[in-house]
Amino acid sequence: MSIEYANLCSVVVKQVFGETVQIVADCLFCAVSRTLPAILKTTKLSRKEVSLALAVLIKYQLVVFIPCESNPFLAEYSLKREEIFNILRYPGYVQLIHTKYGAVGAAIAEELLHGGPQTATNVLLKCIASSEVKEKVDTYRDNFLTMVSDNYLIRLPQLITGEEETIPKFQIDAYQYFVPPDINLHFIAQVQAGKENVEKAADAGIFWQLNFSRFHQDFRDAVMIGAIEKKLGASTGECFKYILKQMYERTDPWQKECSNPFTLAEIKQLIEKKSNNLDLIKHLDQYVTLIADDPLCFIRKVGDMGGGQYVVDLNRAFEELTLAWFGHVITERYGSKASRIFRIIYMKKFIEQEELQKEAMIPAREAKLLSYYLFQDQFIQIKTIRKAGGGGTGPAKAFFLFHFKPRQSVRMVLNVCYKALYNTIERSNFEKSEHKRLIEKSQKLDSIVATMKERGESAEYIDEILETLTPPEREILEKVKSRLKTLSKAEITLDSSIFLLQMYLFHTKVPTTLSNKDKKLM
Amino acid sequence: MAANDISDAILVIIQRVASGASNDDLVKGLPEVTAQARMESLNKLLQQGTIELLKKGDKLIYRAKDPKKSALPKDADNEERIIYGIIEEGGNKGIWIRDIRMQSNLNMTHLNKILKNLETKKLIKAVKSVNASKKKVYMLYNLEPDRSVTGGAWYQDQDFEAEFVDVLNQQCLRFLQMTRENAEKKREGPLALKRLSCCSVKEVHKFISDLGISKVHLDEDDLETILKTVVYDGNAERIMMPDGSFVYRAINSPLFAPGLVQIPCGICPVIRNCSKCGDVTPNKCIYMTDWLD
Repeated sequence: MSIEYANLCSVVVKQVFGETVQIVADCLFCAVSRTLPAILKTTKLSRKEVSLALAVLIKYQLVVFIPCESNPFLAEYSLKREEIFNILRYPGYVQLIHTKYGAVGAAIAEELLHGGPQTATNVLLKCIASSEVKEKVDTYRDNFLTMVSDNYLIRLPQLITGEEETIPKFQIDAYQYFVPPDINLHFIAQVQAGKENVEKAADAGIFWQLNFSRFHQDFRDAVMIGAIEKKLGASTGECFKYILKQMYERTDPWQKECSNPFTLAEIKQLIEKKSNNLDLIKHLDQYVTLIADDPLCFIRKVGDMGGGQYVVDLNRAFEELTLAWFGHVITERYGSKASRIFRIIYMKKFIEQEELQKEAMIPAREAKLLSYYLFQDQFIQIKTIRKAGGGGTGPAKAFFLFHFKPRQSVRMVLNVCYKALYNTIERSNFEKSEHKRLIEKSQKLDSIVATMKERGESAEYIDEILETLTPPEREILEKVKSRLKTLSKAEITLDSSIFLLQMYLFHTKVPTTLSNKDKKLM
Repeated sequence: MAANDISDAILVIIQRVASGASNDDLVKGLPEVTAQARMESLNKLLQQGTIELLKKGDKLIYRAKDPKKSALPKDADNEERIIYGIIEEGGNKGIWIRDIRMQSNLNMTHLNKILKNLETKKLIKAVKSVNASKKKVYMLYNLEPDRSVTGGAWYQDQDFEAEFVDVLNQQCLRFLQMTRENAEKKREGPLALKRLSCCSVKEVHKFISDLGISKVHLDEDDLETILKTVVYDGNAERIMMPDGSFVYRAINSPLFAPGLVQIPCGICPVIRNCSKCGDVTPNKCIYMTDWLD
């Protein structure tokens, strides 16, 4: 957790939940966990305000609480720091659901995201009442159930009743995550008619939430398939899509390094059943070999069973993708020569300055400048090897070797991403507050015009009202709007970078180093 | 027998004995030549520098000189001779003036004088090394400097020809891409495509030679270094063949331009100073203002 991430979270929470919640979240961010009195003391807010803020955060599953170790009657609150970032991905989740389940699914997802986790009955009721998508309640129900069975929705732990404890406890077993809820359509109709109360529903107490890791799994697949498609062509991309599908049959999606093995025969069966790409079916074994032989190393051959046994190597895959990503970033920042230097350093592992410029075929002065730039901005590191001796005569001879430490650089650049994201949000808030008067005025005008149109007033009159917004004002408004649009687009594109780097950090091995104790033993 | 023939015959005899021929050997080898004529011929050969006179015990020995080693003119003095010898040993890698001084034990001013003298006589030459621009090395006049000194094809008078390298880099890439496009047209399945889009160094070399963009002669090793830079640029990949040679093929990057660099923060030179307060803030940022308008 870095200061950049803290700033970003803070601004996100403020945007979504307001200032009081932001103060409480900031207070929780910098501690592992805090009790209510401790929060009161640090934030200097009233008890009521803090309780309310905590309630909001708990409702949206951003804060968890457990009984304090020293005092079981006091709860300790802690912030789920990683989850806050997911708020920024809400549009992405809705978009994904929209492509899979259409508008109905999107309405359900949106309700769960914006209204917080709730019971299935409640979601359906709200969707029917508010949504612009007029669909029958059974369509909504069917959609909800398919989303559960596809694991896009997940059950939250249930309250343990019976035990008399001051601090409520929740529990759920893994097998219950995706057990479909009991939705009584007749009951829903009665609630709508006002004859029944929602609280008496059969599924009361069973809350549902979007299963973010399932969405991230889809995002991850999209990144990998996209990479294969761009590098090796569309058919290869399709082939890889089926490979991933086959992989999930027997592998936990978040298994860290490699998947469990699958065979060519299985892939063949799957593709023959599902695909109608004739070229792919004909040359399937070639396509699979192509992916396996490519330096991207997405899949790796491990045996000959069933026409060839393969595993998906997520560790290598994200390493290679991150390297390509770094190459792009460095090209944009310092030019293509710098990315050449970067790749040489990566490929040669350790390299001296002089050797580097010879290999890169770049004039000495330029090569020096670029490699020092890269070093200065921590894209590459220097390892110094000192020669023993030298004594008092002159400086001791030392070798300075450039090399690349991926995890370190990724963390550095990830923080730059967080900062950039923070900056775009901050800037768009700034733009909004700068032109607050104008934006409000135009909104007011819009609503007036809308009501007038409803009443059927004459077009001339409406035009007259519209003209109260002077042309220069209109011009500024347009400019601000386009600025906000660019900024929000930037937020989305930035997230794709952040996602890749986060996946890298998740999937790659942490290099094992010997602890001092082990070294002594050796 | 003419004088020239005699000296030739003597030279043959001397050359036959590696350790050097004594006067007795010459008498035995050419019994009909008078001592007077032998003397004259030997003197002539010594003058030409094709043989040298050595003393072994109390006998004089004549030994043939290596014909490659060009001889110093007759009027050279002892010091010049020694310096010349030292430089000669340096071969085509050259020898640094400091090393000459160390070996010869002469003082700097004197040494400089001798070197200048030899240079004006076109017996030696000074060559600037590419590795250190101020370092001059000396070598015999008729020698071609070694690659490590001149830097090979990529250097023109100690300057690295960056433009030349860039042009070659682009042309190599173009060739690889052309090959790939041609292979794509054939539609023979994915592996055939991969195989057809590979180029060996030889093919690239032929293409570049046919283009005639290079005035200097480039060999395959030179082109291999260029092709490596294409690989390092991320535009091609290097594949090892079963026989140990390498082939190259153009590739596409697996990613689109990342989101980070599409906004000014990704390429901002002062991002590290950027914070909520101070002179660099997102609200005051000029890069961002430029980008938004």
